[in-house]
Amino acid sequence: MADDYEDREEIFDDFDEEAPAEDAMDENNFDILDAPTGTETGRQNINRVTTPYLTKYERARVIGTRALQIAMCAPIMVELDGETDPLDIALKELKARKIPIIIRRYLPDGSYEDWGINELIMTE
Amino acid sequence: MEKEQYRESRQGLKISHLCFGIPSSFQIQKQSQLQCVNKTLYDDAISSKGSKNKAAPYSVLDTRLGTSQNGQKCETCGDGLAECVGHFGHIDLALPIFHVGYFRFIMSILQTICKRCARVLIANEVRVKYLNRLRKPELSYLEKKSLHKEICDKCKKIKVCSFCGYLNGTVKKVGLYKVAHLVPKPTVSRKDKNAEIEELSSDLLGFIEENKEMEDYIRRCKAEFLDPLRVQNLFKEIPTSDYCYLLIKDFHPSDLILNKIPVPPACIRPSVLNELESGSNEDDLTIKLSEIIFVNDVIQKRRSSGASIAMIIEDWDFLQLQIALYINSETSGIPLNMRPKKLGRGLVQRLKGKHGRFRGNLSGKRVDFSSRSVISPNPNLKIDEVGVPKHIAKILTFPEKVTPANIAKMKALVTRGADEHPGANFVEDKKTGNKIFLKYANRRKIASEIKYGDVVERHLDDGDVVMFNRQPSLHKLSIMSHKARVHDHRTFQFNECVCTPYNADFDGDEMNLHLLQTEEAKAEAYILMGILSNIITPRNGEPLIAAIQDFITGGYLLTQKDSFFDRSKACQLISSILGEAQGIDKIILPRPCILKPKALWSGKQIFSLILKPVEDGNPGLDLRTKSRNYSGKNEELCANDGFVNIRDSELLCGTMDKATLGSGSKTNVFYIMLRDLNAAAAGMAMWRLARVTSYYLANRGFSLGLEDVTPTEQLLYSKKSLLTTGYRRVNEYISDLKDGKLERLPGRSAEDTLESMILKELSVIRDHAGKSCLKELSVDNAALVMAMSGSKGSLINVSQMVACVGQQAIRGGRVPDGFGGRSLPHFAHRDKSPLAKGFVENSFYSGLTVTEFFFHTMAGREGLLDTAVKTAETGYMQRRLVKALEDLVSHYDGSVRNSRGEVIQFIYGDDSLDPACMEDNDKPVNFDRMMLHVATTHPSEIDPSLDPGMLIEKSKQQIDRWSSNISDSFKTEVRLYIETLANKLAKFRSNYICDDFNNVLGQVGRITESQLIQFLTCCEDKYLRAKLEPGTAVGAICAQSIGEPATQMTLKTFHFAGVASMNITQGVPRIKELINANKTISTPVIRAALLDPKNGEEARAVKMRLEKTTLGQICEFIEEVILPDDCFVLIKLYMDRVKLLKLEVDVNSISSSILRSLKIQSHRIKIYGRNLIQVHSGSPSELWQLRESICNVVVKGIPSLKRAAIRMEGEAEKSKHYLMIEGEGLRDVMATYGVDPNHSYSNNVMEIASCLGIEAARASIIKEIKVTMENHGISIDSRHLKLLADTMTYRGEVLGITRFGLAKMKESALMLASFEKTADHLFDAAYFCQKDPILGVSESIISGMPIRIGTGFFDLIRKQEFNKSQYFDRKLIFEDEELHEPFNFEVDPRYFQE
Repeated sequence: MADDYEDREEIFDDFDEEAPAEDAMDENNFDILDAPTGTETGRQNINRVTTPYLTKYERARVIGTRALQIAMCAPIMVELDGETDPLDIALKELKARKIPIIIRRYLPDGSYEDWGINELIMTE
Repeated sequence: MEKEQYRESRQGLKISHLCFGIPSSFQIQKQSQLQCVNKTLYDDAISSKGSKNKAAPYSVLDTRLGTSQNGQKCETCGDGLAECVGHFGHIDLALPIFHVGYFRFIMSILQTICKRCARVLIANEVRVKYLNRLRKPELSYLEKKSLHKEICDKCKKIKVCSFCGYLNGTVKKVGLYKVAHLVPKPTVSRKDKNAEIEELSSDLLGFIEENKEMEDYIRRCKAEFLDPLRVQNLFKEIPTSDYCYLLIKDFHPSDLILNKIPVPPACIRPSVLNELESGSNEDDLTIKLSEIIFVNDVIQKRRSSGASIAMIIEDWDFLQLQIALYINSETSGIPLNMRPKKLGRGLVQRLKGKHGRFRGNLSGKRVDFSSRSVISPNPNLKIDEVGVPKHIAKILTFPEKVTPANIAKMKALVTRGADEHPGANFVEDKKTGNKIFLKYANRRKIASEIKYGDVVERHLDDGDVVMFNRQPSLHKLSIMSHKARVHDHRTFQFNECVCTPYNADFDGDEMNLHLLQTEEAKAEAYILMGILSNIITPRNGEPLIAAIQDFITGGYLLTQKDSFFDRSKACQLISSILGEAQGIDKIILPRPCILKPKALWSGKQIFSLILKPVEDGNPGLDLRTKSRNYSGKNEELCANDGFVNIRDSELLCGTMDKATLGSGSKTNVFYIMLRDLNAAAAGMAMWRLARVTSYYLANRGFSLGLEDVTPTEQLLYSKKSLLTTGYRRVNEYISDLKDGKLERLPGRSAEDTLESMILKELSVIRDHAGKSCLKELSVDNAALVMAMSGSKGSLINVSQMVACVGQQAIRGGRVPDGFGGRSLPHFAHRDKSPLAKGFVENSFYSGLTVTEFFFHTMAGREGLLDTAVKTAETGYMQRRLVKALEDLVSHYDGSVRNSRGEVIQFIYGDDSLDPACMEDNDKPVNFDRMMLHVATTHPSEIDPSLDPGMLIEKSKQQIDRWSSNISDSFKTEVRLYIETLANKLAKFRSNYICDDFNNVLGQVGRITESQLIQFLTCCEDKYLRAKLEPGTAVGAICAQSIGEPATQMTLKTFHFAGVASMNITQGVPRIKELINANKTISTPVIRAALLDPKNGEEARAVKMRLEKTTLGQICEFIEEVILPDDCFVLIKLYMDRVKLLKLEVDVNSISSSILRSLKIQSHRIKIYGRNLIQVHSGSPSELWQLRESICNVVVKGIPSLKRAAIRMEGEAEKSKHYLMIEGEGLRDVMATYGVDPNHSYSNNVMEIASCLGIEAARASIIKEIKVTMENHGISIDSRHLKLLADTMTYRGEVLGITRFGLAKMKESALMLASFEKTADHLFDAAYFCQKDPILGVSESIISGMPIRIGTGFFDLIRKQEFNKSQYFDRKLIFEDEELHEPFNFEVDPRYFQE
């Protein structure tokens, strides 16, 4: 069984290496916001109706993603105070609302809403 | 260093969907590497040369199929064991064979098509109707299944083919994988018959010879034996236009019959070489495959040598069996002579079951970076910490990338190496990917060479996020994330407060710990699964993590009225909360509450310091509540000090106990801290309590000795008098029974009545003894202290130790009589005295007598048995619940839907509030406490108090300004609260007419405007925060919230609901019944309200109308009369009795009932007068029979009802009568005159569904589960029950949470396959060419994809300013001229022609 597992990981690695390299040069990929012609995602809602609160799942995912970025040597957006753990740094960044990530919320009809982190109300 | 690009992890490779299908022979051949023809596995010729175990070429072990041994290379791809995925081969079958998985479908197709022209039997006119439905573009799986069933059922009834006029008979399975077509015999002349028989014998010769028992059956009608070859030819004839009626797409029906079978790659059936002796152990599949080749060979040889048909058929059957066993080795009905000696594991067996592929390898996998050890308590750890042994910390590693922020730390870790604790085991170079083991390497050199992007596999260290888990993992709180604290000992340690969610104790329990491996996982675990995020259980919003046992005892003793400490003691006690990492470096000791003769601090002051050691600017804690020992009057001045008042974190009065410290209570101080402040503060306070109380108890001393269980003289005396009165009463009852004086309870026998009265009498004795213990024992008594504080044990336990163990109950009654009409041979026969039936009058202190001891073990054994049975039962129930509900998620529009997007609820729980955020009994805000809190935190001393009128008006203004997100019902609730408050104030103030209103009277119930506004904003805020967060897996939480408490219920409890002895199934069996949606339940009870509830007479009349009355019950006599010329049964009615019972019958109605139920001619009945009926009989011999049946004729009432009882509710004047009826038949009851149909209720959900509709069924599911749970003292938020009920009813019929119900709810074949009936669902999916889009939870886990729930419910994107001038277009490799050789057209023109 262990062998199966390793095999699969390698396949993923291969694709990870190549796929984004192509995307990076693909202009459309950066302009998703302005050109909502995406085939599978549907259209963007003009009037946003979803909750203005940052849900705990969004919070967790944003921090997780940001911590991973930081662990991969992304530039840090806040002054550090001796923290080394990417998780702590990410938490600090979120508190300072310095995380440059947008949350795309999908509604059941296939449309979506984009919310910047700074637009959302944070509890705690 | 160059910044690495962030990539979404699923961008690489994504499974968009999964298609099931049936391969044709051609496809099997196409994907095959070689045809296997060699039945031998190993080549003997080569083995003699020395190289043993060389797989024979063209055998099923041929190395071209891949390799299963280390060091051996695959001949097809040249890779080794780890790399080669394996390659398929195939076997060509000499004769076609039924595929066992599709045998069901083969049968149904045969039943659907004409056996001559092979067209689907439906006539053209009818086809149009189906065609429209079949043409629907996106036919769902469920629709396909039901259409298929419908068409099959229809075709089964059609006899004559409308296309060719052929007379079709039924198709039957005869014997093992044999199909016979029974053609109904057309009426033929005698001559033809002989010819027919001959024809038949040649056709079915082989079959009849083997199955002699079938011979008769086959000869009766003309039967054709449909062998696979014929069936395949028939299937080939089916016109393509008819495929859609068979629901066949994308494959040919003849593919259902095998002409070739694929040989799976060698790596899934590895051979195990035996090292000691030559030879190897082969997998069951390998052996079976080589057997198949062997039989196949034999058939081929027989055919070419021209052997008899019978012999070939015999081999054909054997081949059929072998292939059947290869696919499914648990085939039943194999003839004895063919049955293999040892059943191996077939393909189906590999997939199904708990350890099969689906549940054992795909849904759950073994993990790395995990550990397991014994657990032990440590109150010095904070509640979100876990102590990890250093030994484990050195093995579990985290791959940390080197960044500018941590390079210094990483260098230090690398230098320290693998043996010293905060060190590292491996370093992986970023560029080369080489891994260096640090144990033996030159660490100094490696550390100096380390660069950004390298990965250091460092040891687990303090502060790392780990997941901690204890089995059984029944709810989400069974696996939570802690922060690690490495220590030198050998066990996992954690704060005892966290025992409850894990259900752990320290009697040798072991727990598992997992170290998370990525930053994302760490962050998600820390935020979502952290202890501090999970103090509250989503089951009902009560705190689960709270002080337990000694902490409660300590808190109780500390806050006693008489605990005082001098300066040194007080300082020492409270300074136990000081510490380096606690962030508390000073404590402000308040002024002592007693100054003279000596400065003394009270325990309550110490406790206040635990709540708030230092003024930190945060708002304090406010609480006013009754504690467990509240005397019931005088509130704060309660004699037992049982009223807790905390203002601004200062304990003013009251003793702390389980209600204010323990779990499962919303008046818990830590809970209030969590709600009003934050989780971290609550966690710290809990830790401070743990520190102080364990220190306090250790120094004060708290132990249980013999003196604690020694009864006082007074206690013994009162016990004695209790016993004598009790015994006397029991003896009275017994003698009453003997004299026949005992008044029977309605619907019970005299014996039963006696038993229940004695049981009631005796069980009181122990409770009374407990109460006298409370009176007699000293307040210092350790057992009593624990019982009073609620930390452990109850008053009953104390009284069992000190006074009297009490009645031993077995199955809810006294100890039953065994052999010889007595419980034990020590007693006389039929002895009903307390001692003979399990009453233990001794205490554990005084010691049990022999018989008492034996009775005690009997009761003890029952308890053990119960737990053993219930674990298995509830475990399975939980699994079913989770499987049914796992994919329900709350969407961003507030609706709850499953993975297919089907709506289960439009608004979650009717109000879209999170059960975990309920502060007060399914409501989001506890107004009283909120008002108190606002009044303390916002004194606003200068503002004038509002008068009641203004109060209402101002609040109205404020509430109207609230956003539309707040439901009207909540607004009304707030308004109502303010109004009642104002009314109370107005009433109070009207008592005192006073000019100086504001200064004096205003201080009573003072609310200023700013306070009111603050109160209302807080309410608004709390409501908005309590809204359920989109993305929550509400289904899984619901399943856990119902399944987890079910495990805590004792199994076989039958409660006596009410007085009139109507047993209703309770506990786990009842919950199981409800969840399974059983058609018949074990105790159906109908509650019927009456149109005239006041009238007792009328109630009796209705009862008689409902209850089944037989003729025998109302007759004076029923006699057989035999006269010389006549014989009849004479019935005389007992009219007085009929009148007394208010039975609405007379001779005429009775005679018609007799006519109806006995089905006799009307002239046989004659009526004489108003009470005599004569029923004539044909012959005297039948007379007694007639009499017996007349006795049982139902003259009035509903036969399905067992019995009815009249009950009363309400106080004497307003008392209402209603009926409780045992039995089924709600519809009939409601239709009976006198019953109020609007208020009739049955506890049978299915009955309600069929007679009142699906909405009523939903309501009754909710009600029944709620009542059952509450009977066991378990509260579950109604939103969970609503969700469960909605899932069971959203399809329009009540679907049980069983394999049948689930198959009607779920679309995904993968999900169904991972539940139960794995193989059946897979074969179904293949037949219908199901396309699984992999949206649900099970499917995603199986295919290794992120789940679209929770953190996977949305996407993260980044808007990047894209400045094109900064970038340059990089050419692709293919476009780069330099990397290409110039294209040479002169190669070879033929190359391009191909």
